[in-house]
Amino acid sequence: MTITGIAGEAEAGHISVRGLTKRYGDLTVFSKIDLTVRAREIVALVGPSGCGKTTLLRCIDGLLPADGEISIDGKRVTEPPEGVAVVFQHFGLFPWKTVYDNVAYGLRMAGVDAAEIARRVPNFIGLVGLTGFEKAYPYQMSGGMQQRCGLARALAIEPSVLLMDEPFAAVDAQTREILQFELLRIWERRPTTMVFVTHSIEEAVLMGDRVVVLQGRPSHIDQDIDIDLPRPRSRETLSDPRFAELRERVWANLMNEARRAEFQLGA
Amino acid sequence: MRRDLVVRYAPFTLSLIVGAALWEIGGRYTSAAFLVPLSETLVRLEQLVQSGELVRQTLSSLALFFVGLGLAALVGAPAGLALARWPALRRALDLYIMILYATPMVALIPFILSLMGFGFAPKVLVVFLFAVFPILYNTVEGARSLKPELIEVARSFRSSEWALWRDVVMPYTLPFAMTGLRQAIGRALVGMIAAEFFLSSTGLGQLIMTASQNFDTGGLFAAILVIVVLGVGLMRLGRAIELHYARWRV
Repeated sequence: MTITGIAGEAEAGHISVRGLTKRYGDLTVFSKIDLTVRAREIVALVGPSGCGKTTLLRCIDGLLPADGEISIDGKRVTEPPEGVAVVFQHFGLFPWKTVYDNVAYGLRMAGVDAAEIARRVPNFIGLVGLTGFEKAYPYQMSGGMQQRCGLARALAIEPSVLLMDEPFAAVDAQTREILQFELLRIWERRPTTMVFVTHSIEEAVLMGDRVVVLQGRPSHIDQDIDIDLPRPRSRETLSDPRFAELRERVWANLMNEARRAEFQLGA
Repeated sequence: MRRDLVVRYAPFTLSLIVGAALWEIGGRYTSAAFLVPLSETLVRLEQLVQSGELVRQTLSSLALFFVGLGLAALVGAPAGLALARWPALRRALDLYIMILYATPMVALIPFILSLMGFGFAPKVLVVFLFAVFPILYNTVEGARSLKPELIEVARSFRSSEWALWRDVVMPYTLPFAMTGLRQAIGRALVGMIAAEFFLSSTGLGQLIMTASQNFDTGGLFAAILVIVVLGVGLMRLGRAIELHYARWRV
């Protein structure tokens, strides 16, 4: 299998967020967020429900406006940029399109010619293990398979930045684990910058080079923890004592805040 | 396998036979001014087919039906998309659409007559008015039910406005428009006969009128029989089209 676009763009995918504040009317979701993500780095974004991690991800993709500045590879983001793909929690597959046509969608929107699409799509369907299901419709597939399709659609445009919006939150626990390791395997073959929003601490530590904790009201970056676990990561990583240590660290950090918030609720 | 078929079609066949028998017997014991037996109706039907009259009138009716319905689809679906897309337009026109939808179209026929006179065009307008609103309404409601998430997906893949319509809005709305089309088929049939009754008399409507005026009860029921068969056939066709486009809507 040939996958193009790796070598020449080694340094593509640098995200810079400066002083980002998002308000909905009187409600400030987060304020003065500064975040830098280097090329090919995976940053996992965790935080309690409602902390705005998904909102931040949408801002980075230019889907939502915010005050402050976001740039990717030096270009200011005002609308969804080229070379950035999103994998959605709700999969976001088009139910009237087959797997093949869903995966081809991003390429068609990017104006890639038909011959190139016909060459690339089967590769990415194969990469996520959906070979043989090209003609299936989303409603005929399990949640896990649907998200594989969503992942293939995002990967097919060969993005330098992948934005993952709780991608495995809507699938069952077992499938979730399978998909996590699958994603790690794919990333090893084709490393891209990734911002990975999740509410699972384990998932954050397993995936991330860094785990960024977003909390408070309005939320801010509370912690930025380096995850110095060796790559490639796999199932063995889970039994690494260092994994448990880091997981506990993130957990303690989040729980303090959660407890405080819980007891403040009555006041 | 054969047994299954027998079990499946037995009630239908039985009810058909009982219905035909009731018609036959009822026809024999009532005045021929009201009802003639099925056998007599079929004899008259054959005469009408032989003379070429029935085929000619049926084709004339079908032309009216399909032109009116076709125009309703050509206008109703795009108008529905436009109304769904631009809320201001919808708010501006909602009242008129509601008034027209709620008005029994038959009430408008004298007005159409005085406006457009006799001929093919006013009749097409009647069929059109009967058929357009279900298509329009279903298209508007369908297009409006498109989940914002899918529009967001399109935006994140840098879709242009035109591509958003071509790849997302229109394919999503198509099954809803087809539901409208199915409903419109039934209404267009009513419109077709109403137009043929009240405007210049043509087609199956004329056949019914003439037969009725001549106390040709056999001819009257022969024409009705044809309309019933056409109606059932067209409704079936509408249902099949609707289901075909609704495969992914589960």
